[in-house]
Amino acid sequence: MYGIIDCDNCYVSCERVFRPDLNGKPVVVLSNNDGCIVARSNEAKKLGIKAGLPYFKLQEQFPDQKIAVFSSNYELYGELTGRVVEIIRQEAPQYFRYSIDECFVYLDGMERIDLKQWGENLHKRIKKSVGVPVSIGLAPNKTLAKMASHFAKKHSGYRHCCLIDTDEKRIKALKLYPVDEVWGIGRRYAAKLESLGIHTAYEFASMSKEALNATFNNVVIYRTWAELNGEDCVPNEAMAKKKSICTSRSFNGMISDLETIKIHVANYAARCAEKLRQQNTVASIVGVFLNTNYFRDDLPQYWQFKEVSLPTASNSTTTIVKSAHGVLNEIFKEGYQYKKAGVIVMGIAPTSPIQLNLFDINAERFEKLKSLDKVIDRINKVNGTETVILAAQQYRQKNEQGKADVFANAIKHDFRSKNPTTRWSDIIRLK
Amino acid sequence: MSKIHIIPSEFIKELELQLAYSIKAGFPSPAEDYQHETLDFNRDLIKHPEATFYGRVDGDSMIDAGINDGDIAIIDRSAEASDGDVIVAFVNNEFTIKFLDLTHKSEGYIELRPANKKYHPIRINDSDDFEVWGVVVWTIRNWKK
Repeated sequence: MYGIIDCDNCYVSCERVFRPDLNGKPVVVLSNNDGCIVARSNEAKKLGIKAGLPYFKLQEQFPDQKIAVFSSNYELYGELTGRVVEIIRQEAPQYFRYSIDECFVYLDGMERIDLKQWGENLHKRIKKSVGVPVSIGLAPNKTLAKMASHFAKKHSGYRHCCLIDTDEKRIKALKLYPVDEVWGIGRRYAAKLESLGIHTAYEFASMSKEALNATFNNVVIYRTWAELNGEDCVPNEAMAKKKSICTSRSFNGMISDLETIKIHVANYAARCAEKLRQQNTVASIVGVFLNTNYFRDDLPQYWQFKEVSLPTASNSTTTIVKSAHGVLNEIFKEGYQYKKAGVIVMGIAPTSPIQLNLFDINAERFEKLKSLDKVIDRINKVNGTETVILAAQQYRQKNEQGKADVFANAIKHDFRSKNPTTRWSDIIRLK
Repeated sequence: MSKIHIIPSEFIKELELQLAYSIKAGFPSPAEDYQHETLDFNRDLIKHPEATFYGRVDGDSMIDAGINDGDIAIIDRSAEASDGDVIVAFVNNEFTIKFLDLTHKSEGYIELRPANKKYHPIRINDSDDFEVWGVVVWTIRNWKK
């Protein structure tokens, strides 16, 4: 049995942990640079605010509504969702973090447990401990689990956990589910299916294998079809590809000193940053793993993985490399022969168009930039203009009281909340 | 230049206090049999790291309970709040630290009691949308200036 645990309106829910007054009120969170809306509370959705709406249009279209607006604060979201994952780790035999707000679990060996009750209790524990509500879908495969989690989210009667464990429940769910919302069916396939008169997941699952192959002849869509029919065949790697980028390699021989491993990790991190830039995306979490040689049981074994949240989502080589080195310093232990390391970037989101425009930043600002920090100069020489801008973004993060005002117009996060879980200066005040 | 913010959901590092042994010459230390892990506040005082948050006391409403302005409160959200506990609640648009008084629960209201005569208890009726945000398990005060 698989489960997917998914934070409800994740970013909004994270903001509400420290703003309980916003429960039940419309809340939106903006993308990097305050460009457009990336998260909405249910109340905001009910008002008709669409995901992706540019912020300036929000003011135009909803002038009379009181809507709480936040700049994205990945530092906060990363920390709170890290707590959610920690609870899942304690409760589930196996878990796999799929994205910043979703986690798959594999519930092998729990056949004797009332899984519906297990899921409801897990939601209760996460809600109470962290303050973030989750929805849980449980089913014999990942595609059905994803569907179940949608039902858990939509209908309060499920008490945050929907279990599809019989054919009867599966068929009922398929009939109620639009085909274009099925996990793994992209817009293109959905359009094609619609043109064939297939609207529900049930109609899609009822296609014959021959008809399916004649129409698509595609392994991904075949797996989706098979999973809707109850099989378990979507490989774990297929999930990893979507919302994270991983670069890892085995070393040529074994390495025990930190400095050498640092060089490797820097290269993997740089490769991740390159991939992000190629696809015009930024990441908000950088993770590093390090392990010894499993096949040498005559040697001491060690395995560790850790991640950090970036204050601002980034695809800058410098930022990703620095962050990866920070994690490596945390997880590295002397006295082991290491065989493999890897860098994983997660929390991937599109680069906002405004951020791209910043690359043609004006000359005057460039002058100011130069005077700010010789580090930035160095990066400028080594990596070119792009990196300077993205690095500047980080620089502003660091120096909010000081010279940073120079960049006030460069990167906007006018409505950013505090970081009560990662900075002593920001912990909540108790009257 | 990019400062790193390690996600502190695993409170497994730092803050170690060495156990002080008194070892008498010529005698094997009786403590040796009891040598265990070093005392660690993060491990021993924070039972539920994933549910633990920190707050800074702002004001003197709890001063008679020994909770002063500027103290750091360690708040466990997973702990069940009982009568008499020091709790954190969100009331009138701010976080407040008070004693939870359930004496009048059967009469349809509870009270958040300050520990300072200057302040009045906050009365919360059954019909109010009220939630205990977390339970204060420790407070910390710095003495060495």
